[in-house]
Amino acid sequence: MSDPQHSLNHDIKQLIIEALGLEDISAQDIDDEQTLFGEGLGLDSVDALELGLAIQKRFGIKIDADAKDTRNHFTSVASLAAFVTAKQAA
Amino acid sequence: MITFNIRQWRAWAPGLESAADWQGWSTDARLPAQGDLAPDVSFLPALQRRRLSRLARMAFSVGWPLAEGLGDLPLVFVSRHGETPRTFDILSDLAAEQPLSPTQFSLSVHNAVIGMWSIMRGETSEMTALAAAGDGFEQGLLEAATLLHEGAPAVLLIISEEQPPAAYRPTIDDVPFPYALGLLLEPGNNWQLALGESHAAAEPAAHPHALNWLRHLLLGHTSFHHTWNQRTWNWQRH
Repeated sequence: MSDPQHSLNHDIKQLIIEALGLEDISAQDIDDEQTLFGEGLGLDSVDALELGLAIQKRFGIKIDADAKDTRNHFTSVASLAAFVTAKQAA
Repeated sequence: MITFNIRQWRAWAPGLESAADWQGWSTDARLPAQGDLAPDVSFLPALQRRRLSRLARMAFSVGWPLAEGLGDLPLVFVSRHGETPRTFDILSDLAAEQPLSPTQFSLSVHNAVIGMWSIMRGETSEMTALAAAGDGFEQGLLEAATLLHEGAPAVLLIISEEQPPAAYRPTIDDVPFPYALGLLLEPGNNWQLALGESHAAAEPAAHPHALNWLRHLLLGHTSFHHTWNQRTWNWQRH
C-alpha cells in the first residue's frame, strides 16, 4: 500500500469516481489496465473533458487537449498515472 | 380554442408521488416537505442517470411511465426557470475565475432534458423545450395540441420546475418547492382550452399553477380559468 505508484493509481480511480459521479462503483472495481472510454468502463466524450479538468486541478498540471498523444494518456488508469508522473517530473 | 384528451397523468413533488398521495393533497392542500428529496429513477442504468439533475430526474420520473410501450412519441418539455442550480454553479466558477465543468455547461442548456430523453429512449420524434412565463403550462398544451393536430396519435407534455438557489429567490417567487407534472395527451374533445383577454390581476397562489390545475382535475371541476399577464385561459371539461 505504501508503493507510490499504487497510491497514485488509487488516487486517480478515486478522482474518476468523484468527478464523474460513478457513485455505484468503488476504486477496487476499476482495473489499472481497464479501458476507460467507449469499451471497458464505458465513459464518453463529456467524461473525457470533465476528467481532464479534474486531473489538471488535482495534480496541478496542464493538459494540451490538441496534442495527438493526449488520447493515449487517457486510455487507462495506468497510462494516466504514467502521464501525471511524467508531467510532475518535468 | 384547442381540444384534447388526457389519457394518463403523473406528478411528483417531495413526499407526493402516487395518485393516492395527490388525491389526498387535492383536499388538504398541504405544502410538500422541504429538503433534498429526489424522485427514484432507478429504472435508468446507473451510467445514464448519474448526470441527471433533480430537474431532469423529476421530468424522467413522471414522463417515463407515461411513455411506457409507446414509440414515436413527441415530447413538449416546459420549464420556466430551467436548471438554475447548474447556472448558479457555473456563474460561481466564473466569478472565482475557475475553469467551468464541461458536464455542468453541457447540461445547463434548456433542451438538455429532451436531449437526454432522446438518447436514453432512442426516441427521434419531434421534441420541444419551452420556457414561457406564468402560463407556460397552457403554452405547452398549445404546442402539444398543434402536434396532435398534425397527426401525432399521442403527445407527452412534461412540466418540471426546480427550486432555485437562494440567490435567485428574491426574483423567482413561483417555485415554492420542486415539482413535475406529466400528461399523456391524445386527440379528442374531453378538454377544451380557449384564450381570452383579461385586465384583472393574476390571483396569487400558494401552489404552482400546474399543480393548481391538477387539483381542479382531481376535484372533478368542469370549468375554471387561469389568468396571467392579461391572458385568461378558460378551461372546460366534458
